[in-house]
This record gives sequence, structure tokens and C-alpha cells, in this order.
Amino acid sequence: MSIAEDGLSPSDFAATAERAVAACASLDVAARGKRLAGDGLLGVLAAPEVGGLGLPLAFAVPVVAAAEAELLAFPLMESMLVARHAAVETVVNGSAVATIAWNGKVDATSRGSAIELYGVVGAVPAAEAADLLLIRIDQDRVALVDMRTTGVALEGAPGIDLTVPSHVARLDGVTIEPEALLATGSWQALQADACLLRAAAIMGGAERCLALASEHAVQRRQFGHALCYNQAIRHALARHKLVLEGIRHSLARCLALGPNASDIQRKAVFLAAAAGGVGIAEGALQVFGAMGFTWGMPLHRHIRRIRSLQAQGSEQGLAALGRQLIAEVPAALHG
Amino acid sequence: MQSLSGDAYRSAVRGWLGENLPAHLRADRASYAAPRLDQLVAWEQALHRAGFAGIAWSRQYGGHGRTLREHLIASQEIGAVAMPESVNSIGKELAGPIIQAIGSEDQKRRFLPAILQMAEIWCQGFSEPEAGSDLAGLRTRAARDGDAWRINGQKIWTSGAARSHRCLLLARTGKLEDRHRGLALFAVPLGSAGVRVNTIKSMDGRESFCEVFFENVEVDEADALGAPDEGWAAAIKVLAIERATNRMYRAWRFENELRHLISACKTDPALEDLLQDGHYAARLGAVFVDIEVLKGHVETTVEDLMGDLPIGARGSLIKLHWSEAHQRFATLAWEILSQASLPLRPAVKVAQRRFNELYLHSRAETIYAGTTEIQLGIIADRVLGLPRGK
Repeated sequence: MSIAEDGLSPSDFAATAERAVAACASLDVAARGKRLAGDGLLGVLAAPEVGGLGLPLAFAVPVVAAAEAELLAFPLMESMLVARHAAVETVVNGSAVATIAWNGKVDATSRGSAIELYGVVGAVPAAEAADLLLIRIDQDRVALVDMRTTGVALEGAPGIDLTVPSHVARLDGVTIEPEALLATGSWQALQADACLLRAAAIMGGAERCLALASEHAVQRRQFGHALCYNQAIRHALARHKLVLEGIRHSLARCLALGPNASDIQRKAVFLAAAAGGVGIAEGALQVFGAMGFTWGMPLHRHIRRIRSLQAQGSEQGLAALGRQLIAEVPAALHG
Repeated sequence: MQSLSGDAYRSAVRGWLGENLPAHLRADRASYAAPRLDQLVAWEQALHRAGFAGIAWSRQYGGHGRTLREHLIASQEIGAVAMPESVNSIGKELAGPIIQAIGSEDQKRRFLPAILQMAEIWCQGFSEPEAGSDLAGLRTRAARDGDAWRINGQKIWTSGAARSHRCLLLARTGKLEDRHRGLALFAVPLGSAGVRVNTIKSMDGRESFCEVFFENVEVDEADALGAPDEGWAAAIKVLAIERATNRMYRAWRFENELRHLISACKTDPALEDLLQDGHYAARLGAVFVDIEVLKGHVETTVEDLMGDLPIGARGSLIKLHWSEAHQRFATLAWEILSQASLPLRPAVKVAQRRFNELYLHSRAETIYAGTTEIQLGIIADRVLGLPRGK
């Protein structure tokens, strides 16, 4: 598909995503998958051969951002990435729900022509509702496992995300065929995309938190005037806006660089979003005061969700990024 | 060079800088020495002759007629080397764009080529003792006197006035109560009778800051920029774009500084160990993230301007992010380098010289060109649209 010929732009997908996500509110996870697939959203990144649209990553950004703004209870990013990297038609058409184990890897042992997997992996979003699990085997091998396979067991993990709760998956002699292995390099490619989509998701949630806080600051009256008349509140919200726009523009730049974006640049975008998004969401709660701390307000759900997205990329912390940068820079040549 | 592609243009800029930027002007070299004014003027003249000053200005006024995107490419390459800041940045990045927008044809022909050729260095006469961030309160008066104007008043924090030929002066033609209305811009020759410039030593030891006194200074009508009472309003529109696009090289210079710091530390085993410490590695990582965010702001702004999209008050976002992030970096650089082992390695000495000065100078970055608090106010007002109390 030629994007230019078809006149598509990423922003076209934002409105579709908002409608689809709103329609998902009353559905269960499996039905949400079908609804999202019906609007073509799960296959935005997938190849046309499996029913996808084969579009660049920039087209998935408004979709995951809209989903996070509305706290969509579905492993959307994971489904999009499995559809793209594992080319699974059933995920694209919504008949199967896919997820990814973001933390840890399992050991693989050959048994004849088959492979047996052993180990424990974590940060598996919506594992209870998933049909397929993408799992890292070693440094850069990835396998797609049917969750109903003998030897797959889920354990509850004490996470804080209420929207897309994560689990730990234990694999004890899970047998897969070699065809279930993805091409070498898949994990790195998957992570490269995930860095940016996770940043987009955090941006969507943070933007909603800032909108809620700004609206509250305008509507809420204290000491005889609107809360936003106070400079402390104005400046706090302005700082959150500064951070939000920083996330947006660094993400846009990285997407524009496309394959020329380096690994360290992608990680920087994620880390900007992770630190900034948390600050915006937690800051919004502060603007609301005690009301923000209540169960009924959605802010805590966003905070939980953004923190979970941050934790999914915990291997890419600032210290790791700093060390990567330090390793890249040669010692001074000029005294 | 006009028909070069983006990649070819980048190579041309990089190649020219590599061949022509003398080592004694590079702050990351041992042979660097604080340059004299005549050396800086000569360097900037060479930059202009090579096509790398006035990049997007019209050719008829001494510019090179390139696109904003090409200006960005050149800025990226200029930022990537440790070359001196322009001594005529007010002329090139503030006065020049304002003159292009609101100046007469005669003014464009008189002022613009002279700025690029470094024949006239400009300073900015906006702040006053009673009107720093709040320009609506400025008191310097411009009164009609026949065909000319008479200027009386005082400006302060006027960087570089002692070395400048002209001042972009903001003065009041109406009543003080008119606040932002009744303000006009002038291109005042600093050699005029009645102009007195005093330098003020700043905390970094420089004597760039000045106060400028105007005592019954006569200014030709030909040096008034834009119509009286309208000049400032017109200039504000220009400034909104300029704030977002001036000194575009800063993100890449910032990266040059970060890489210089790390490369110098790697010549000292004690500092190399320090860099691996999780605390410092994380702070260096955070600096890199800040730089990538700044690049994102700059590049997307250029793309939006190229696409005729509104950029609103994006300049405030860029200025605020850069100034605070750069200040954090300068503090970190000082902290790391102060733990160097003795005797100092040559590369560490070079880095200490550069970053000690940067640390001190960076304290001004959240103050000049609109303080942090002013930028936050602009973002609250114009980006978030929060209503203000009366």
C-alpha cells in the first residue's frame, strides 16, 4: 500500500481509535479484540499477507495513545507487535488475543525436532485472557507459544495495574515446534518498536491526566477564585505541559528518523516518556488534592498504568542508557 | 552549492568547518585561547562568505536564500563543533528578522548586509531598571522633534553594548498607562551624541553586560523601525517565530559538550570509574534524554514552519527546556570534573576550563531572554489557555 497514494496520515487513525476504544467499554477482552480488529486497528503494523495494513510505526502511535487515554483494558500494543513481528492472521482478525512477556527469558532444550522451554517470565499483560504468548528464549531468539499448551502456568504478580494486569508465566517443559521460533533479531526489532509505542501509550495517559488537572484547576474555586489563578498551580501545570510536549516532539522526531533512529535514541524517547509521564500523572493527582486520591477518580488508574509501562522497560533505565553512551564515546584525542 | 541535496549540503558544511575552523577557536582543544573581538569578527565574516550566516535570508540583502530546513542542517553541523558563540547574535537572530518583517526597503538594504558582513554589531535595548521582565512598564521615551526623534532614558543588562554599533531600542512613544501600546522600535547608532555605555562585571568574570544611557539622543526618522505604536506589535509576531528557531544549533552544541565531557573523563582512570557509578551514569543518561527532547522540539518546529503550520508559543517550551537542562548539565560537569585525579590530565584541564566557565555562565540561562517564571507564565496563558485572575 502506498501511503501517499492512499492519502493516509497517522492522525486519521486517532479518531477511529477513539471510537473503537469507546465502543469497547462494555465488552469482554475477547470481544474487544474483535471490535478493534474490525476497525483494522490490530493490523495497522502487520503485513498485508496476514490481513494487515503494513503501515509504518507512526500510524500505531495515535492508536495506542487513544487507548491509554481511555484506559482500554486490552493488550493492544502487544497484539499489534505480535501481529507485525510474528505475522499472525488470527491476531490481526481478532480471533486470538496475543501478549508478550516483557521481563525475563526461558531456557530452550532440543528434543528431537521439537524444542522444550523451561523458565519463568514476568510482566505479561492480560495473560489470563491471552491465547498466544510471545516469549524471549535467549539473547535474541523469540518463540510464540499457545497459552493452552501443557506446561504453561500463570501466577498472579503483585503489580499495581488495574487496567491490564500483568502476570508471571511459568513454563515447565513446554514443547514447541521449530516453526514457532521467530527469525533471529526479532527480539531487538520488537524492543525497538516497543520503546516508541510504550512512549506513545504513556503520552496518551499523561495527556489525559493533564487535561483533567487543567479542567479541574479552571472549574474548582478556592479562596474565592479559580484554582488556576494561583501561580503555583499555573506553573505546575505549565511544567507538565512542557514535559508532555517534550515527549510528543521527541517521539515525532524519532518516528521521522524511521530506520535511521539509533537504538540509544529510541531508548531516550521511552525514558523521556517514562519519567515525564509519571511526573505528569502524579502531579495531576496533586492538583486535585484529596479528591485525586479517591478510588472513583481515574487518576490512580493512569498512574498505575503508566508505572507499569515504565516497569516493562525497566531494563532500559537511565543508568543503562548512560553507560551505553559512555561506551560509545571515545577517549579524548585532543589534549 | 545552491542545488545541493540535504545530505550533500550537510557534507559541505561539515567539510568547510573541518577545514576552516581554527583550533584556537575550538573550546575542546588545548590550543584554545579566549578569542579577541577582531578574531571573532573575522571568523564570522568567513562563515558568511562561505554561506553559513544569513542562510535563509534573502539574497538581495546579503543572505543565501536557502530554506529553513537547510538552515537547520547547517545549525546541526555548527552545533556539533565547539566553535565560539556569535558576537552579533542580536543582529543576526533578533534585529535582522524584525527588520526583514517590518523594516522599509531602505532599512533592509542599509542594515541587513552590514549585519551579516559584521560591519555593524547590534545589541538589544529592551530591559530597564524598572522594566526587566515586564516590558510594558518601560520608561525610556521617544518624542517627536521635527523630522527626527529624541530619546531619553536608560537601558540595563544590555549584553555586548560596549562592542556594538547599533542598539535595537524599544522606547515609549505614548503614555506609561498605555503599557504595551505606544511602544516603538528604533535602530539607534551607539556612536550618537548623548549615548553613554557602562560595562557591568558579571559573576562569570565577563564584562559583556552593560547599562546604556540615552540623554537627548537624536535619531533619524529613517532609523525608526515600523510605524510608531505598531512596531512592537509587529515585532512580537516575529519574535514568536524567532524564539522557536533562533540558535537552533544549541541542541547539537549541547551534545558536543556532553561528548566532550565524557571523552575527557575517559583519559583519567578515576573519572572513568566515576562515570560507571550508577548515580553518575544515570545523570549522564538523563542529559542525553534532555538533548534528544530538545532536538525533537527544534526539528518538529522547523517541519511545522516549513508546512505553514502554526507554532504558537513553542519558543517558550524550547527556551525553558534548554535553559534548565543545560544548567543541570553544567552542574553535573562541574561535579564530575572536580573529582579529577592529580596531576590533571591534559584533556581534563581543557575540559575543566570549558566547563567551569559553562557552569558559571549557565546560571544566567534561566534568566536572560525571558526568565523561567516568565516562560512558565506564557505556557500557562498561551499554550494551556488557563484564565488569569484580575
